[in-house]
Amino acid sequence: MTQRKRKGGVRETKVRVWDIPIRLFHWTLASCFVIAWFTLDNRYLDVHIFAGYLMGGLILFRLLWGFIGGPYARFRDFAFNYSKVQNYLKDVLNKHPPRFLGHNPAGSWAIYLLLGLGLSVVITGLLTFGGEERQGPLAGLLNFPQGRFAHELHEWLSWLMLGVVIIHVMGILVESMLHRENLVVSMLTGFKTSAAGAISTLSHWKIGATMLVAIITAGLFWFQGHLTETPEQLYQPFHGPALPDNSLWREECGACHLAFHPSLLPARSWRAMMQKQASHFGEDLFLEQDAVNKIETFLVENAAEQGLTEAAWKINRSIPQTEILLRITETPYWIKKHQEISDAVWEHPKVNGKIDCAACHIDAAAGTFEDAAMHLPDDVEATATSE
Amino acid sequence: MNRKLIGVTALLLSIPFYAQADAVSDLEAEYQAQGGTNFNATAGEALWNKEFIDAKKGDKRSCTKCHTADLKKPGKHARTGKAIEPMAPTVNPKRLTEVKQIKKWFVRNCKWTLGRECTAQEKGDFLAYLKNL
Ligand code: HEC
Ligand code: HEC
Ligand code: HEC
Repeated sequence: MTQRKRKGGVRETKVRVWDIPIRLFHWTLASCFVIAWFTLDNRYLDVHIFAGYLMGGLILFRLLWGFIGGPYARFRDFAFNYSKVQNYLKDVLNKHPPRFLGHNPAGSWAIYLLLGLGLSVVITGLLTFGGEERQGPLAGLLNFPQGRFAHELHEWLSWLMLGVVIIHVMGILVESMLHRENLVVSMLTGFKTSAAGAISTLSHWKIGATMLVAIITAGLFWFQGHLTETPEQLYQPFHGPALPDNSLWREECGACHLAFHPSLLPARSWRAMMQKQASHFGEDLFLEQDAVNKIETFLVENAAEQGLTEAAWKINRSIPQTEILLRITETPYWIKKHQEISDAVWEHPKVNGKIDCAACHIDAAAGTFEDAAMHLPDDVEATATSE
Repeated sequence: MNRKLIGVTALLLSIPFYAQADAVSDLEAEYQAQGGTNFNATAGEALWNKEFIDAKKGDKRSCTKCHTADLKKPGKHARTGKAIEPMAPTVNPKRLTEVKQIKKWFVRNCKWTLGRECTAQEKGDFLAYLKNL
């Protein structure tokens, strides 16, 4: 540990404190955090998930680097106990904190907290992704209610992490002012000034370059679908599970509109709809009794109660048990999810009203309604934002 | 031997046309039995383009609202926006090949468009118009 006393006349040299892997880790992690924060919206889920994976990978790397990295990167360089932190903070209050070339005691605790919180956020994120979206390595590990719980935990931990990030940044500013040095620039260039004799770390540029190549390759691999998509064949980042299908249902119920998947309404709604097939929203379906029975069986067996998808589970729990709704578009969950869409969008020539699910959901025919498969038609987007 | 093969092939190839001729002529026979006579393509065309005012909603309805007036072009469902394949059998050979389908759609589409089921005469006229497009 190199402490510097501010005495005049001591010859000062430049010391490399932060090697390239540490700097790359630091700024990529910070970017991931910001990116993840701005891609909370479901339609950017693939970006959000990528930021999460990258964050997890970076933190694992950092844990390893804490044992095998350069002198200032190792945990034993900044393993301070509580009383050291307390003393340091007292010195800060007296405006004369000692200077540390590596992490100071208070800063080190922020680092540990950030690493721990970051890892917890990534893990709860994976649990949410697996539980609510049925995607990723933990797909299906949790059921929907548990996935929802993981989701809430994920959000709380993220807020906590944001709090520590803010404290960390304020600490940097305070220390920079008290010591009249720019710590932000140091984290960019890697250098600090110090009395002669302090050791410099190696740059470890080869490891840094490997990291960079790995990150870029992973990014290209993850997002390649966006580069190869065409207007006819839009890219869908995540594919839901193949849902139960039935050719009679698809043919009969898909003749006038999209064949709305059974998972989008509860069984009692389907029973009522099939009973009243002679007055189906003003149409007489005129189906033979045999066809009615077969279709009804398929609809009831795969109704929303079965929780085949996240949407099914959420639609079902949003409807009061006493109500029999015949429209998906009148279920509270559907209304809530679409309330921000303006009339101009519904009336847009490329959108044939509320029941034209396929105009905005790439996977409407499959019935999965994945979060990231929502894609407003391009010129609709313009209408939506110009209002 | 060879002749037989050609004969069978010709028979197989002609099945789609037979099917259409079959479905339409079966239905025409049925509609005749129900009192329709002299099915007429011109009357069918006129009815196809005729506008009916809906008793409840007051909007104008016609067969062209979903199928368009140019039957060689794809249509668009007036209520849901779903694309409908062209009606003309020359463009869309699957058209008018299944008795059950045609009957079902006559019920559905007549009820919505005219507000009632079509008569045997009207249905025969529609077929006379549609089958030769
Ligand atoms: C003859 C045409 C036709 C057929 C066939 C048909 N529907 Fe419909 N359906 C409609 C029309 C028209 C509407 C109302 C559209 C509107 O008001 O926007 C509708 C609406 C619906 C809705 C409500 C959509 C919403 O959330 O607002 C559901 C659910 C539905 N149909 C299910 C079915 C099922 C199940 C079948 C098969 C048994 C079927 N439909 C077959 C014409 C049809
Ligand atoms: C005009 C475009 C549009 C149409 C048409 C539309 N939706 Fe959506 N849908 C959206 C938007 C926008 C969201 C919100 C996405 C988000 O939360 O980021 C959404 C969200 C959803 C969600 C929640 C999952 C998700 O992707 O976030 C479901 C389920 C859903 N829609 C089902 C339907 C069904 C079923 C229909 C047809 C009856 C339909 N939508 C029609 C635009 C549309
Ligand atoms: C509300 C929209 C709508 C209107 C109005 C409408 N149709 Fe249709 N019609 C359809 C749909 C949808 C189909 C089935 C789609 C398909 O087969 O591609 C269909 C199919 C048919 C078929 C079956 C064709 C076949 O090959 O089996 C006939 C015949 C037909 N319509 C006649 C009529 C007549 C006659 C009228 C006017 C009285 C009419 N339609 C008005 C929507 C409509």
